[in-house]
Amino acid sequence: MISLPVLLGVLLIGFLLLQVVPTDPATVVAGPTATKAEVDAIRNDLGLNQPLWVQFGRYLGRVFQLDLGRSMISNRAVVDEIALTLWPTVELMLACLIWAVPLGITLGTLAARRRGTVIDRAIMALSVMGVSVPVFWVGLLLIQYVGGAGLLPFQGRNGPIWTADGFLSIILPAVTLGAVFVGPVARMTRTSLLETLGADYVRTARAKGASDWRVTVRHALRNAMIPVVTLVGLQIGFLLGGSIVTETMFAWPGVGRMAVGAITSSDFPLAQGAILILAVGFMAINLAVDVLYAYLDPRIARG
Amino acid sequence: MTDAALPLQSEADQRAIAAIRRKNAVWRRILRDPPAAIAALFLIVIVGAAVLAPWIAPFDPYASNMRLRLCPIGGARCPDFLLGADNQGRDMVSRILFGLRATLGIGIVAVLVGGGLGALIGLSAAYFKRLDQPLMRLVDVLLSFPSILFGLAIAAVMGTGLFSLVVALSIASIPSIARIARGAAQSIMQQEYMEAGRAVGLGDGALIWRYLALNCWPTILIYMTLQLGQAILLGAALSFLGLGAQPPTAELGSMAADGRKFMSIAPHVSTLPCAAIFLVVLAFNVLGDALRDALDPKLRQ
Repeated sequence: MISLPVLLGVLLIGFLLLQVVPTDPATVVAGPTATKAEVDAIRNDLGLNQPLWVQFGRYLGRVFQLDLGRSMISNRAVVDEIALTLWPTVELMLACLIWAVPLGITLGTLAARRRGTVIDRAIMALSVMGVSVPVFWVGLLLIQYVGGAGLLPFQGRNGPIWTADGFLSIILPAVTLGAVFVGPVARMTRTSLLETLGADYVRTARAKGASDWRVTVRHALRNAMIPVVTLVGLQIGFLLGGSIVTETMFAWPGVGRMAVGAITSSDFPLAQGAILILAVGFMAINLAVDVLYAYLDPRIARG
Repeated sequence: MTDAALPLQSEADQRAIAAIRRKNAVWRRILRDPPAAIAALFLIVIVGAAVLAPWIAPFDPYASNMRLRLCPIGGARCPDFLLGADNQGRDMVSRILFGLRATLGIGIVAVLVGGGLGALIGLSAAYFKRLDQPLMRLVDVLLSFPSILFGLAIAAVMGTGLFSLVVALSIASIPSIARIARGAAQSIMQQEYMEAGRAVGLGDGALIWRYLALNCWPTILIYMTLQLGQAILLGAALSFLGLGAQPPTAELGSMAADGRKFMSIAPHVSTLPCAAIFLVVLAFNVLGDALRDALDPKLRQ
């Protein structure tokens, strides 16, 4: 429902980006020896004399055919460049989620169960520190004291995650990115669990003689997961921000690093493609989160 | 019910009511929470230091002295530089003071501009019922979009630099403030004095400004403060990526990026600006949590 206007907005930004390219495409196509009449003819052929909204329509048509133009620097098709960088980014995000989300949920459950104790306070203090720390500081410290000590690689991706080299090279980026993600998950789990622990069905379960941990895990936690999934979904944007910084720091060959590189080197077609794919990827994740809800709460699927 | 409706109140009653009010005042509740009180005090000092940077900085943050290059904290080469020198031999204390000034300044301007626009959107949505749906849809769209992408897109279209950075951060702070402003304004819209104002013939502008805006601004202002921590963190990240403030500008994010090449020989050049960002954002978040708890009666019990 939300996705369509967002998608159009993103495409509009992508289109505008190509409008600010300082060189005139017609002059480039015509070559240095072309006369003014020839350039004008080519401009006409390329549709550059049409009103902007017609050009935007054509741009949309090209995007749906996956034609995003060519990089001004490498001269390779933008789509190919994206295809190369997409998987490393997905890999990094998954490697981050796979340890940060379970840890966050565990810490949040622990804090809710021990509410008001030192453990609760310590976990909550850690979590507020986690959301306040700049991700690049975590990265700098890890590069310096773990990477610099020769314990783990910190420059680039040495292969797919299932190979030993690839696995080792993803550890530091995944830890960096996850470090800022554990806090919000722990916090949300705690708040949400405290709410469900007070619910009637939890009292019923207790009355039936279910053990304390069984009540927490089987009865309360599953219901408490809905807000947590919402949060993880909402925080994907935050994660995306973190991954752009992380990729840049660790020379991880992902979309985020490519986007930053394209922007700083004024490679407009590539920047446009990278921003487009980041936005579309973000929307796809949101859709996946909506589907996950229905699984966690069958009422949503039926309603 | 207001106090005036209770003419039988004795002076002692009134004093008691006033005492309870004072006791429950938001800022008092915050001061009773030690971490929040410390955070508030810390921020007052930091903002003061940032504002006064040109007068209290011991040295010129842009004056480089290559002989003092990468001088460590407490190094014999630079006895006057309390926190050492950076890769250009510039005093770190002065750089950090000016860096705080830039980083906080960017954050504050962005939140004021974005928050102001957000407040306008929220108040209009609450006041003009027909605008509610379209405006809030727009806000949802903005909210669903990761703010770092605004940063990337705007840097790509307008070029990198401080102005693009402020624009990106402003846009990023519009949606949450718009929602808060709408919520606050909707409860005011229910009040009888809105009806009364309309009955005596006040125009839309007067009603919005005098009744809605003037009643909502404390809430809006508080949420803008909460937003500041996030705006600062995002701004620093964009500057770190080279999309915001550019060297040699003393800005904490770009200082951190500038110094990272020297992490192994002079870690203080990069670590100090990072630590400064962390402490400021932490203080805003701790204070923000306390404010939220104090303002939300559901959580108070």
